[in-house]
Amino acid sequence: MTATGSTEPESRAPGAGSDLAAQIGLVARGDAAAFDAVYEQIAASVFGIVRRVIRDPAQSEEVTQDVLLEVWRTAAKFDAGRGSPMAWVMTLAHRRAVDRVRSVQKESERERRTASAAVPYDEVTEAVESSLERERVRRCLNSLTELQRESVTLAYYGGYTYGQVASLLGVPTGTVKTRMRDALVRLRDCLGVAEQ
Amino acid sequence: MNPSEPNPRRIQMPWRKMRGQGAHTLAGAYALDAISAADRVRFERHLAGCQECAQEVASLREATARLGTATATTPPAGLKDRVVTAAAMTRQQPPAVGDTDSAARARLPRVGRWFGSLAWPGRLALAAGAVVAVVVLGAAVVFGVANGSIRQQLDQAQASSQQIAAVLTARDARMMTGPVTGGGTATIVMSHSRHALVFTAAGLRALPAARGYELWLIGPAGTRPVGMLSLGSRGTTGPVIASGLRHGDHLALTAEPAGGSSQPTAPVMLYVAL
Repeated sequence: MTATGSTEPESRAPGAGSDLAAQIGLVARGDAAAFDAVYEQIAASVFGIVRRVIRDPAQSEEVTQDVLLEVWRTAAKFDAGRGSPMAWVMTLAHRRAVDRVRSVQKESERERRTASAAVPYDEVTEAVESSLERERVRRCLNSLTELQRESVTLAYYGGYTYGQVASLLGVPTGTVKTRMRDALVRLRDCLGVAEQ
Repeated sequence: MNPSEPNPRRIQMPWRKMRGQGAHTLAGAYALDAISAADRVRFERHLAGCQECAQEVASLREATARLGTATATTPPAGLKDRVVTAAAMTRQQPPAVGDTDSAARARLPRVGRWFGSLAWPGRLALAAGAVVAVVVLGAAVVFGVANGSIRQQLDQAQASSQQIAAVLTARDARMMTGPVTGGGTATIVMSHSRHALVFTAAGLRALPAARGYELWLIGPAGTRPVGMLSLGSRGTTGPVIASGLRHGDHLALTAEPAGGSSQPTAPVMLYVAL
């Protein structure tokens, strides 16, 4: 697992963040070539998380397109002083995906998703084979307590609110809130995310 | 010793305790988008005034982003063409330059922690004050014409908005913001050199028709009613000017009969040292 560097997505390379930030700066000025380069760096990650949360392929594609277009439209709002460009992009993507899921939460839809969301962690595990980054994330998720891990994966990959997570796991909402926070602090430290 | 000293039993507020607990524990859930839309709005309002919280959320977002990028999947063929084509036909948003933009507001860290009161540096105060003053002028004019002669009301509104502008642009203007017990957020800009403060609030709970919110100044000089607040849509109120501010005063908010009371009655929804 240490010799698979060549399969690692290019956007994960350390230092890529500053390039991406600079390119987003150019996009803000309407630079189409820069937008092309930004697309190459973010599209797979955006599609990945949107698809994971929404699941329905057609809707996922539609929302992915919306998110990428939002990056174009609101590039001027990106502020490098407040976080990495990838965090900005993924925040847009995840929030859109979650909003979509919550707005179309019809009964049948929810049942289907409840069934599938019960195994998000396994899916992470199974998606994890090919890259160092995925391996790192999997290892860090593994370092959490079970309750922390389930709280985070149900919320992030399942798109559930903390209240829904609490009832799925049968624990008080206050507990879920603190577990989510503790878990992200641990993940942040484990993944070596630079503090802003 | 001082007979007009506020009665501690009546004004002892749990409100300082609220600061850490409620809002801050939401940082994780917020970073995971695991909160309802209403909670999100509430928490973002909190973030705008809490630099520490904003920094924590930003660092947690870096972690959640990695959970996201770990799912990277090759997007369907043809998506790029569609996105690029759509981008070419889509107008971009201009960068934020005014202080009315939420991103810019989030970058006004000095404005305060949860009722931590911090001095505005002069320039910031002037810039932000000018923006608020414009809003205030508009609001004062609109609120002013409820009864009496329009001319008189306009004069009063103008006088009041000049007073408000004077507070907002004072060199020692300090801004504080925090939660109101029972719901809502209050913002106070005060200036001891102007002996006045400006109070606004949003998200206040609606009260029964026969009752209203009343503001008080309470301190060594006694308990003075500032006035009844008229509640707009979505529980917004003000800006209201409270003059006669003295050192050692507290600002209090209570619910009273619509005509007002001579003394504040419990429960006190807000009690802030000025």
